[in-house]
Amino acid sequence: MTDDLNGLIDHARIAVCCGAGGVGKTTVATGIALAAARRGRKVLALTVDPSRRLAETLGVRRNLPAPVPVPRERLVAAGITEPVDLDTWMLDPQLVADRVVRRFASSPEQQRRLMDNRVYRQVSRMVAGMQEYTAMEAVHGFMDEGRYDLLVLDTPPSRHALDFLEGPRRLQRFFDGRIFRLFIPAENASPIRRAATRLIGKVLGVALGPGNYEELQEFFVSFSELFSRVTGNAARMQEALADPETVGFLLVTSVAPEARADALFFRRKTAELGMPFAGFLLNRSQARLAGRRFPDESLFGGDPTPVQRSALAKLQALAEVERAEMERDQGLLEQLRDQAGEGSFAVALPDIPGGAHDLRALMTLSEALVEEEWQGTTPDSSSPGLAAPA
Amino acid sequence: MISRNPTPSRAAGPDWFTRRIVLVTGKGGVGRTTVTAAMARAAAAAGRKVLVTAIGEPGGDYLPLARIYGRDVLPAEPEPLEPGVWGCLLWSRAGHRLFLERVLPTSVLVGAAMRSRSIRRLLDAAPSFHEMGLFYRLLTLIVLRGADGEPEFDLVLVDMPATGHSLALTGLPDILLQLMPTGPIADLLREGQSYLNDPALAAACVVTLPETLPVSESLELIDGLRTTRVPVGAVLVNRVPVDPFDADERTALQAAVNGHVLFGMHRFRSLDGTAAAIERLERHVRGPIREIPEIRMPGDDLVDRVAETLAAGAP
Repeated sequence: MTDDLNGLIDHARIAVCCGAGGVGKTTVATGIALAAARRGRKVLALTVDPSRRLAETLGVRRNLPAPVPVPRERLVAAGITEPVDLDTWMLDPQLVADRVVRRFASSPEQQRRLMDNRVYRQVSRMVAGMQEYTAMEAVHGFMDEGRYDLLVLDTPPSRHALDFLEGPRRLQRFFDGRIFRLFIPAENASPIRRAATRLIGKVLGVALGPGNYEELQEFFVSFSELFSRVTGNAARMQEALADPETVGFLLVTSVAPEARADALFFRRKTAELGMPFAGFLLNRSQARLAGRRFPDESLFGGDPTPVQRSALAKLQALAEVERAEMERDQGLLEQLRDQAGEGSFAVALPDIPGGAHDLRALMTLSEALVEEEWQGTTPDSSSPGLAAPA
Repeated sequence: MISRNPTPSRAAGPDWFTRRIVLVTGKGGVGRTTVTAAMARAAAAAGRKVLVTAIGEPGGDYLPLARIYGRDVLPAEPEPLEPGVWGCLLWSRAGHRLFLERVLPTSVLVGAAMRSRSIRRLLDAAPSFHEMGLFYRLLTLIVLRGADGEPEFDLVLVDMPATGHSLALTGLPDILLQLMPTGPIADLLREGQSYLNDPALAAACVVTLPETLPVSESLELIDGLRTTRVPVGAVLVNRVPVDPFDADERTALQAAVNGHVLFGMHRFRSLDGTAAAIERLERHVRGPIREIPEIRMPGDDLVDRVAETLAAGAP
């Protein structure tokens, strides 16, 4: 795959957007999907546990059983008149968990028993790693189908972008068969295992209260068989996501120091786990303000009135702040480029006033994503206006 | 049980000053951790003994809250961090141990259970057990008493995790009570609810920014908190840009900047959005809304200034 963002938008099969909460990950993921669709690719934007407002922005409903196209009239209203093939699917974790059960249950009887289990109904949202796992599961399903050219996955929200990579592993650790067996008394078990099972039974029996431990045991028994198969699938999915020819992991970050610390940690971790890191997206930065002019009296075309003069002085104060932020953010972008290293990119995205809260704003963002000058070159610091006197 | 009557002399101050437990919530990036530290500093300055806590584990990843006090993580047990402010981790495994100590007949059994690798794995990964450990640990910190029998801390401030995880924690009792309506865990959950759902004792403060998306997300979060019956205290609007322009100046600029690409215009144009976002909050939020002005300074000074602003917001 090419080493700039345009290459990824044109050629990747799967783009995984990761990032700490609050960096604008969902917005950026949707912007990438829109940019690729406008270049003629068939795109699916997949979001797990989306906020209500993203669904409102795109004019689709959440928790539908299958992907739906973004309504044509919405696109036209936002100024996208060419035909685009953009589907979106906003998944409820419970919905995907149900799909997993349907897909892996060995019989209709087992499926019914699992779906009716009280514990199952309550916990599929809460199991550590379940949301991450379900996202991977959905990606895998669509990869096999080959219905889309590009799948953009917006990973579930978490403080650390890494949860997406570690989640399935955590789940796997729990659903590991050996652990299960300790919760289930067996006649032919070794004395050591019997002792362990007794200890666990005693501790949990008291802690959970009478009747509840048996309930939990039943849940374990029902799920152990199912999840041994699911676990194998999780391993296969991680393998598929490690293919640098088709997959790119994007890390969305903001200018906040904590977000960048997470970003760097993630960069190292993807390398360790063998996941193909594509690049950093520095969202809501002021790095792209180059080319702006410093406001002066010429704005008023001649001799300014006292009101104009005081307004200008105040605008100039704001301009000073923005210029300082631009310089800071350009420095951050340079650092990210260094840290991305050979073959990866760092791209700055603008701060859209009021946030990307409608499709038109999303379009502005998607256009900014594909602008050539931001794809890998250093912004030209001699742009007009930059050197203007304060 | 903790006293349900706030001391009158301490009741003066912002609305959340009178509570015993404040959950500080809000999406990542809104400055929630800075606001938590500032609330702690403001309450400590008013003479209250404060405990700040955040979810984490010893030796785990760095905690933004700990960074404010020059550390990477918080200690497992409460330690003084700065005058009047103590801090410790909200550590799930500590909660598990304390809970087992409460319900198991012998400490030998507790030790055996906590050493068992399979039980540890179960507690780390099984449905809800992690949240339950956090929940119990929080409860023990709330009811902690000093040698004199008085509550150890006047105010426990929790820097909550991202929105979804916050609701997983506050919504835990209702979900688990459906699963196991009786038993020691059910008792514990009801006890926890008696604190967290009591508006005289507890409040969730929602930190947000004066922008369209953060406001939408805060309104969703407030809805979510209502369903978990945690009382919503103040909404704290962080980083509100100061609008320097009067109406005449604004009109003069609006006409003049059209068609120009200028430094300063981004901020100038954002001011309308700021006002609209705050009006929207005012329309939809029943409780108090406090604005914290945008303060452009580094770490510790920033916490000081935000603390001053919060203390000045007394009713």
